Amino acid sequence: MTTQQNNGQIPASFRDPSGFLFSRGGVLYRQVNRVYSEDYKRLIDSGLYERLVKAGLLIPHTEVDQPPIESDSSFKIIQPERVPFISYPYEWSFGQLKDAALATLSIQKRSLKAGMSLKDASAYNIQFVRGKATLIDTLSFEAYREGQPWVAYKQFCQHFLAPLALMALKDVRLNQLLRVYIDGVPLDLASGLLPARTKFNFGLVTHIHIHAGAQKRYAGEDVRSRRASMSKQSMVGLIESLEATIRKLEWKPAGTEWGNYYDITNYSDSAFEHKKQLVGEWTKKLKPALVWDLGANNGVFSRVAGDSGAFVAAYDIDPAAVEQNYRQVKSAKEENILPLLLDLTNPSPAIGWANRERDSFGARGPADLVLALAVIHHLAISNNVPLPQTAEFFAGTGKWLVIEFVSKSDSQVQKLLASRADIFPSYTREGFEAAYRESFNIREAVEIRESERVLYLMERK
Amino acid sequence: MHFTPLPYLDPGSGSFLVQLAIAALLGLGVAFRASWGKIKGWFGIKSKTDEDDDDSAK
Repeated sequence: MTTQQNNGQIPASFRDPSGFLFSRGGVLYRQVNRVYSEDYKRLIDSGLYERLVKAGLLIPHTEVDQPPIESDSSFKIIQPERVPFISYPYEWSFGQLKDAALATLSIQKRSLKAGMSLKDASAYNIQFVRGKATLIDTLSFEAYREGQPWVAYKQFCQHFLAPLALMALKDVRLNQLLRVYIDGVPLDLASGLLPARTKFNFGLVTHIHIHAGAQKRYAGEDVRSRRASMSKQSMVGLIESLEATIRKLEWKPAGTEWGNYYDITNYSDSAFEHKKQLVGEWTKKLKPALVWDLGANNGVFSRVAGDSGAFVAAYDIDPAAVEQNYRQVKSAKEENILPLLLDLTNPSPAIGWANRERDSFGARGPADLVLALAVIHHLAISNNVPLPQTAEFFAGTGKWLVIEFVSKSDSQVQKLLASRADIFPSYTREGFEAAYRESFNIREAVEIRESERVLYLMERK
Repeated sequence: MHFTPLPYLDPGSGSFLVQLAIAALLGLGVAFRASWGKIKGWFGIKSKTDEDDDDSAK
């Protein structure tokens, strides 16, 4: 489960003195500190809270009567609605990061209208709730003071604009820089990596290139004595400029597979339907609350599992598949599917201060049910992971496992073996079952019609 | 010019100065769009720029 300190305080929320998150009896609370009381009251009394919650932009909360963790500093305890699954920007597709950025700007514009402003613009403050990018930090607001620039401008550019520009204009895989730089992509790095033509784009030249140059030139300089100020109209202009710059950034997945993932598999329609039917039957029987679909592709089987009412984190290594899946979530307004980017052979690590700010992939589990469909050959053959180790890994990620064994005679496996030595003598159905029996009880094993594949339902020992 | 109260995140001197440097230009842009919206309004064209609500995460 999520990392927490002895007193229940969540290590991800230590920076902001306005308050912090803590967990008690499995319930998540937020202590609002006295120093933040005026801003909190303004957020509520101005009607901003209600408007943002109504628009699905801010997580709703209730004020509760719980003893505080630190009573000297405490003003109030609130209980935010629980986010079904925490994900991080380096696990999002281009479209998800873009929507998170636009949501942040939309919140800032609405805040300005209510006489408030965001005091931070961290991508980690956004989570996908009911399929929509939602701010989860209720304490991000402060009174707007006319004349002052936006304190979160730098953070916004590092967390959102720089990675989005790099993904759209250089290479979509550059979102992985966020995994290294927890406070967003340094602007001088982004400026150096972006193509030269971006210097002719007003938004990118100002918010990234000139911004990076100014950071270097004026680093550490005391600017407080300068007699300049920024009108509210200019502040609105700044936000609208960021918004227009981001809206223009597009990423369309290249390649012929786009939109036709399942056309390039070796499945017959009947085999595909059989697999869907089995996954559907088993999930309905198990009624899992949380499903992890590992190797979800564009989410066909995630949706079959989701029909049982489960919340499904649909992971895939291919940014195009995750993007396509997310677009489907948006167009169908699906609330229980969360597409995410993940390399199963190198899953998200724990990062940040003392490695405790952002949880690893594994620490956010275990799931009630894990789907591992058409992935075992990629792990065991492409990546040389011995079968017993794959079993151990899956046993650590979930209580139940639906796993597909793809035999060596299958044409997809033959493709993987075409250019390399077959050093996998134990990669057989018998070898697979023996390896998995160490960690699991095999409850069902069904040969998929018209295929060389077997679908298993297993329960962790 | 100074922040009151001081922010808990360092807004960065360079990030602060860039905003001040482009502030006038950005403000003009907003004023221009507002007047243009009004002019279009006289001709019965609805302005798209007044994004009061429901415009997030489209």
